[in-house]
Amino acid sequence: MLAIIRPDSWDFPLFLHVLGAMVVTGATAATFIAAISAQRWPWLRRVVFRTLLAAVIPGWLLMRLAGEWINSKEDIAGDPTWLGIGYIVGDLGLVLLVVTTILSWVSTRKLDRSWPLRSVAGLAGLYLVALLVAMFAMSGKPGS
Amino acid sequence: MDRYHWLVFLHVTGAFMVLGGAVMAGIFNFAALRRERPSEIVVLFRLAQIAVRSITIGMVVALAFGLWLVSDADFGWGDTWVVLALILWVVANAMGGAGGGRDKRTREFAERLAAEGDQPSTELRARLRDPLTLALSWGSGAVVIVILALMIWKPGA
Repeated sequence: MLAIIRPDSWDFPLFLHVLGAMVVTGATAATFIAAISAQRWPWLRRVVFRTLLAAVIPGWLLMRLAGEWINSKEDIAGDPTWLGIGYIVGDLGLVLLVVTTILSWVSTRKLDRSWPLRSVAGLAGLYLVALLVAMFAMSGKPGS
Repeated sequence: MDRYHWLVFLHVTGAFMVLGGAVMAGIFNFAALRRERPSEIVVLFRLAQIAVRSITIGMVVALAFGLWLVSDADFGWGDTWVVLALILWVVANAMGGAGGGRDKRTREFAERLAAEGDQPSTELRARLRDPLTLALSWGSGAVVIVILALMIWKPGA
């Protein structure tokens, strides 16, 4: 019943964290769909790259920084699994997103090669699944 | 996991489908504004359709499990945040539905142009930038963000 007893001072960082998580999830889904479609319509490669730069990474920053903000206010006892999953998906996600963005940029330069675009689609799909697992862990808090 | 946390998870899943879908639709809509060829605009509108399906399903899921949560977690049906969220849910659906209908007519117009030579059209460009359509679609997304804020702050709880 965390939502009922949560102090008011946690509300704003929680709002930013959830909003950032929704933006990064929607933008990653858009990246995945556009990357798959770009195999048929190559001009979509630029849409994929811009989506990563202008939506996915800013969304990730909002989610991660606001998450750290609320974690600094909230004194969570022990080391719960749901929090660990959130940190793993958050921190490893940045590495994955940077690699995906670089590959996406390569795909806009090497139109004759399909492997960068396929890699972008694969990595975006993988990160989307990881985000959904994190959403399950953070909202359902299994094991807490 | 107890029932409360399952309900929260399912309610949040619906909310993610709505706002995540709105972000997707916004990205494809914004990309369409930057294209000139009708066939390319049609592709982006079709990709946005996937987002619209996510929003439609998410709206129902978020509402159904949200109502269940209100009764299960002993919130009051007359609480300000519950009443406002339900009113805004209707407003967001009405605005999104009206904007989506106008977008559908623009997509059909783009499909006709694509079949008739696929040349850039000033009328298509004007329809894509129609202020009322943009206000309805983007405004619907803004209303959903207000609903998210109500869910977090819960005024009147």
